[in-house]
Amino acid sequence: MNIQNKDSQTTVVTGLLELVAANAAQVRDEIRAALPAATVNLDLDLSALTFLDSSGLGTLISLHKTLRSRNGTVRLLKPAANVLQILELTRLHRVFEIVNG
Amino acid sequence: MRREFRTSLRLESACEFPAVRAATLTVREWLAEKNLPEADLGGWELALVEAVNNAVKYADDKARQLPVTIDVSCGECDVEVRITDHTAGFDWPDEVDLPDMDSESGRGLFLIKSLTDHVSYLRHPGENVMVLRRARPAAASEILPNVSHLQNRLAEAETALTDMTAELASSYESLVALFRYSSELGAHTDLKDFSQRLLKDLMQIAEADCAVLRLVSRDGKKLETLLLLPGEEKNLLPPVALTDAFASVEVGAAHNRQDIWFGPEEPLGKTDPLREVMPVGLGICHAFHVANQLVGTATLGRRLADRPFTAAQVNLLHTFVDFLAIQIVNARLLDERTAARVTRRELQIAADIQRSLLPAKIPACLPFEISAVCQSALQVGGDFYDLIPASEGALLLVIADVMGKGVPAALFAAVLRSTIRSMPQLFDQPGELLAAANRTLFPDLSRVDMFVTAQIAYLDPHRQKIISASAGHCPLLVWQPGTTDATALGESGFPLGIEPLTRYTQTETVLPANAAALLYTDGLSETRNAAGEMLSEKNLLRFLAQTAAQTGEAQAGKNFLLERLADYSGHAPLADDQTLILIRHRL
Repeated sequence: MNIQNKDSQTTVVTGLLELVAANAAQVRDEIRAALPAATVNLDLDLSALTFLDSSGLGTLISLHKTLRSRNGTVRLLKPAANVLQILELTRLHRVFEIVNG
Repeated sequence: MRREFRTSLRLESACEFPAVRAATLTVREWLAEKNLPEADLGGWELALVEAVNNAVKYADDKARQLPVTIDVSCGECDVEVRITDHTAGFDWPDEVDLPDMDSESGRGLFLIKSLTDHVSYLRHPGENVMVLRRARPAAASEILPNVSHLQNRLAEAETALTDMTAELASSYESLVALFRYSSELGAHTDLKDFSQRLLKDLMQIAEADCAVLRLVSRDGKKLETLLLLPGEEKNLLPPVALTDAFASVEVGAAHNRQDIWFGPEEPLGKTDPLREVMPVGLGICHAFHVANQLVGTATLGRRLADRPFTAAQVNLLHTFVDFLAIQIVNARLLDERTAARVTRRELQIAADIQRSLLPAKIPACLPFEISAVCQSALQVGGDFYDLIPASEGALLLVIADVMGKGVPAALFAAVLRSTIRSMPQLFDQPGELLAAANRTLFPDLSRVDMFVTAQIAYLDPHRQKIISASAGHCPLLVWQPGTTDATALGESGFPLGIEPLTRYTQTETVLPANAAALLYTDGLSETRNAAGEMLSEKNLLRFLAQTAAQTGEAQAGKNFLLERLADYSGHAPLADDQTLILIRHRL
């Protein structure tokens, strides 16, 4: 996982491979710890993500709440079809702005 | 009857998350060998992960020492998985629903249930078994594994192709639409027409049955309806104030900056205005912003609640509406710039008219000396003055203030000037002159709800007198030699344009040698100092007395008076026109 600041307000996370019970809490804590105070928008590049489970969804929601408290948003970039399917199944595509490639 | 051919697999996994993940991948590979299609493999992988994670989640220290067992059985028609754990287990809920959107957990069972055809959870002392079953999509023949494998691959490829085509088509449609709109924008299309076509296309592509587009009102306090589709009965949807976030989903979406979905589970509020016009099964409301400023909201609805909008359709909504928002803001900026240009041009015209009305030079009226000025404030007002030579060396002094600004005020000033100049026989009777001017101007002034205040003074050099009358105007101020204070003279009648038949009293005053008199507009007496206090007539009288005491020539007196006024205002730019005529008896 790679966390970079795109500009003064936007942080981009790339290289997420799996977001599952085994790593969900750790990923959440690492991203939160790396977020500069000025960041209001978080872009999660999901193009490399092959698998997501309900614990991973919890991480996404948790980050969403963090950014919302800063009046910002979490955007999910380029999720694969199976990941998008899980977001739609759990209706979380209503919460996140999803940006396709 | 042919006996069903089943194969099975048993796995034991340590009771911890990483081991569980490895075990589920093994099951997935095994099922792939059984020629399950890709979509089913993904579904099984997720259902299994959720089921086994549950076992790990509920394990205490003792249970964590014992393995979780996964039994998979694959037949021609279905796949069954049994997960056996040794934890305390949990109570299977009556209803497996999704938690609140904000909840960070509680979606596992929902996923399991959604991804399988059958779930049962059997609790026993010391162990629990979760049984998951799901039909296989097509009856693949085990006898001809290669053919069935190929068939599956073909079916998958077809599905993928169909999906890709659909996605491409929708992207292509939206791209084509956006390009078309962009080219149309150059052609001065009406914003509403443009929005309507855009919204109709969006409805079609996003498969919506109705749509509402609202824009923030100019004052920024409410959402007003621009479009209600289908049909054009936008009057059915009154504006909604932006103050109460619970008043409607639209205001809620604007406040929270988040899309709001409504449907059977989250129905529209009882007082939500959308209820009346959107008898829909479900819908989504998106608030759109430009440069952090709310521009409006767009709501799409579907008649039936069985099919929510997909992520791709939500994306389309965002793309279309955000594009529209930029066009709306651009159009508004253009309007404002054009309006500002028109206003500037209008003010220029008004200033030109006003200047053209002023006398080019001051006629002589010895022994009186006259000095006059009309200083325009930034916003051109309707002040003007006139000095008209009358018979026998007399002079008619006119000072007026047309209510209002700009071209209309300047035009009425021009009309008043001509009207007065056309009645020289009444010059020595200013009261009659005002009454006659009022009769002439009343129909035009009252039609546009305007009025004019004016003071007319007849300066008689032979009898050394001034005869004045006022139509709602500031009084004539006179300073007599040998006195310390100046006084305000005369009664005032109605301004011109208020009453069709009204009379004006005239006042006659002797202006002996060295006396001074002042005609002025309220721009003088209403000059404000830094503290915002108005000068008032009383202080203006004092300024006049000082002027008379310290200056001789009328010209010098005028300059002295203007300096006093500028000192009072702290040399701030004029807030209103300042017009004055100063008369000085110089013999």
